Amino acid sequence: MGKPSTNSDTPSATGSTSAARALPEAVQQAVARIAGEAEIRIAAASDLGTDGRYGERWFVLAGDRVLVLSPDGDPANVLVDLPLKDITEAQVENLVGGGMLQAVVNGRKVDLVSYTNALAKRFGRVRGHLDAAAKGKPIPYEPERPDRCAKCGLIIGEETRVCPRCVRKGAVLRRLLGCARPYRMHLVLVGVLMLASTAFGLVPPYLTKILVDDVLIPRTNAYLLIWLVVGLAVSSILSTALGIWRSRIAAWVGNRSSFDIRAELYERLQWLSLRYYDRHPTGTIISRLTQDSGGVQDLLAFGLPWVASNALTVIGIGVAVFFINWKLALFALVPAPLVSIMTGSMWRRMRRAFHKYWHRWGRFHTLVNDALGRVKIIRAFSQQPAEIERFHLRNAELFDAAVYAEQTWATNMPIVSLLLGSGSLLVWYLGALIILGHGGLTIGGLMAFLAYLGMLYGPLSNLTQTTQWVSRALTAAERIFEVLDAEGYSERTPGKIVPEKIRGEVEFRNVTFGYEKHQPILKDISFKVRPSEMLGLVGKSGVGKTTVINVLCRFYDVDEGDILIDGISLPDLDLSAYRGRLGAVLQEPFLFSGTIAENIAYGRPSATAEEIMAAAKVANAHDFITNKPDGYDEQVGERGGRLSAGEKQRICIARAILHDPAILILDEATANVDLETEDQIQQAIARLIEGRTTFAIAHRLSTLRNATQLLVMEDGKITELGTHEELEGKQGVYYRLLDIHRKTSSITAMAG
Amino acid sequence: MKPPQPETGPTLRCLDPGQVRVFRTQDGRVRATIEGERSILAPRFLRAMPLTDPDLYISVREQEPGGKEVGLLRNWKRLDRESREIVQAELDRRYLHAIVRRIISAQSLFGVAVCDFETDRGVRQVTFRDARDSVVYLGESRILLTDAEGNRYDIPDIAALDPRSRALLAAIL
Repeated sequence: MGKPSTNSDTPSATGSTSAARALPEAVQQAVARIAGEAEIRIAAASDLGTDGRYGERWFVLAGDRVLVLSPDGDPANVLVDLPLKDITEAQVENLVGGGMLQAVVNGRKVDLVSYTNALAKRFGRVRGHLDAAAKGKPIPYEPERPDRCAKCGLIIGEETRVCPRCVRKGAVLRRLLGCARPYRMHLVLVGVLMLASTAFGLVPPYLTKILVDDVLIPRTNAYLLIWLVVGLAVSSILSTALGIWRSRIAAWVGNRSSFDIRAELYERLQWLSLRYYDRHPTGTIISRLTQDSGGVQDLLAFGLPWVASNALTVIGIGVAVFFINWKLALFALVPAPLVSIMTGSMWRRMRRAFHKYWHRWGRFHTLVNDALGRVKIIRAFSQQPAEIERFHLRNAELFDAAVYAEQTWATNMPIVSLLLGSGSLLVWYLGALIILGHGGLTIGGLMAFLAYLGMLYGPLSNLTQTTQWVSRALTAAERIFEVLDAEGYSERTPGKIVPEKIRGEVEFRNVTFGYEKHQPILKDISFKVRPSEMLGLVGKSGVGKTTVINVLCRFYDVDEGDILIDGISLPDLDLSAYRGRLGAVLQEPFLFSGTIAENIAYGRPSATAEEIMAAAKVANAHDFITNKPDGYDEQVGERGGRLSAGEKQRICIARAILHDPAILILDEATANVDLETEDQIQQAIARLIEGRTTFAIAHRLSTLRNATQLLVMEDGKITELGTHEELEGKQGVYYRLLDIHRKTSSITAMAG
Repeated sequence: MKPPQPETGPTLRCLDPGQVRVFRTQDGRVRATIEGERSILAPRFLRAMPLTDPDLYISVREQEPGGKEVGLLRNWKRLDRESREIVQAELDRRYLHAIVRRIISAQSLFGVAVCDFETDRGVRQVTFRDARDSVVYLGESRILLTDAEGNRYDIPDIAALDPRSRALLAAIL
């Protein structure tokens, strides 16, 4: 069996000659034989061999030769050898579970090298580099961003970028403690209380020794009895009271620090650009705020005090038992490591069983939530029996996991107790031998010894789990710091120009943009819209219409070219000031929980009631709002769930009117409403767009008839630009779309 | 007035393997010919049900960007030998997921599971961010695992794995 294939040991794709050093010798020799001393411009290893098995193949651009080699031979076998001049374009074909790098040669696609999904990003970049080389452009320098830890090879992935194994625990811990710096006096107090409560906690067994040796066995010193009992009571009460005080302060400091971290994290998330959100799934971001910050809270509030307290107890007991009898102490500690390891292993087994149980609970919860949330659909399709069957399966799965977890617990816990008690058997035996042999140990000493031993194994076993537990918490902390440090994605790096007024002139100048840089969605787009004009964006789904809007809103920065607002480059404009003059009415009207009035005034919270109502009137919303039982104070429900689609849309229009934008975006604003409602919305929109530069996307082309210009897009490029009449006369793409639209309308009319 | 007819019909069209011939042209490109009807240059062959019944229905489609379906090839193994070999090669080229035969090792490390799988494509070390969330159950004993990099691993029958593999799998799931 060969060495497991991972992508961690394959070199990067790169546009520099340094790649030559990473090439296997056999590949280097083969390249030198074909291309001589030519510069190696691109070199990238794939993870699939020629037979489709995991292996290695190399893609190399050496001088003007495109080569694919298999390093199996000596020198390597050359699988593809193409002159660069024959290639017009480089492409990537997405396959199931991977992809294929292809070159277009004389209009024909030639397969170059296949790879698994693990290398999709690498070959996406290689495609861009090869394409640039084929078109005579310079190969951009884009260092590979590895998905695996460079040190240990463990996967770190796009959304974490943190290796949990190699995370610099010391540095993270220091930074984390830095978050608690404002509360350092509290921490000092916690430390002092911890020392004191641990010390008082160690007193009772020693007092027991005196009680047995000096009072009970000699049956003298009766006067000591009361003082010893008082001593026992005082030390126990003080240890408990100081422990409570310490825990209360530690809980406050820990929670306060994580409160600060959560606040900083949330503020940061509000300012991160949308590109960050594209690359990080919402679930992951939410887990930063909940689970990760919870992990940090656990560490600060409970974990660190717990570790310190356990460590102090172990040290204190160690000192005490050695003080009582050092020989017996040495014997007593012999089984301690073994007991700790065994109990640690049992804890891990129990934890695994409970993780499985909790996970099944999660799946069970999802099923119930999903089924009850679509109860109408289930009944409409008479799927109750199937749903009940699904429920039974999941319920049985949960039952199995619960039984396993509980039984594991029921079996392991007594064994753990037995193991913890095993050390004391040895002490009983050896201690008794020492006493019988008059070896310097008293009966009281033995009892105190046993009491200390009982207090030792618990903290010792706890400490064995500390490493893994602290590692997990520190990884959570590092993930939080990663968000706080994500400068590259920040929207808080705005331009400096704060315009007094935005007239609304918009110009796209040779704009190229892709959500992934190697896959452009907009390709060299140029157009100009004058103030108060309306531009209609037309084209099939997926041609890039919404992307035009996204870059106009500067949700994303363009990769090439420029967007000018009133002649000023968009990145130079103050983002808040610019967005303050943008308004949007989108296909999915967004309302938040609150009243209708609050929703209309979202963009201008200072608006008066009269201004809100005036905006609603213009938006044809006033009448239906006042007909609601609570009028403008009506709660809209979560995401506006208590309103119809048309009502929600008109509230959004009212919001846009009140916001008074210079540039207005209408994205399929009437897509989800009936004809009558559409008419009302169209009237409202007609009033809204007056005097504003408007960008409108609509599938119903009739709604764009009044646009000053229509921009027709295909595959990220502008294919036609002109007025409705001009484009209709041209009988091109727009004409064809119009024809389809007319046919569809006639079907709709007949169906209606 | 009659409503306008849509350009393409909504009927599923099944192709008779006896009517279809797939071959390579002189310049190495694949071509499919449907007897007495049409010939398609560089067609794409897609499995309609790649997981549940990968070899039952093969969708024969025109080359991108149009990419319309020409028809559904049922029982494609009844094609003539040359055609069958080419279709098999095209399917192998497109579908890159691996079938797990044995689990060599599996361990949970700091919230991720790292496993060594022996598959039909060779030995591979794979990482799951959360193995329990990376699994899709495709029946009583079949699972599909998707690793942290988006690669898929099919275990067609858990019961057919050796006992150690089953135990390792149970530990991470």
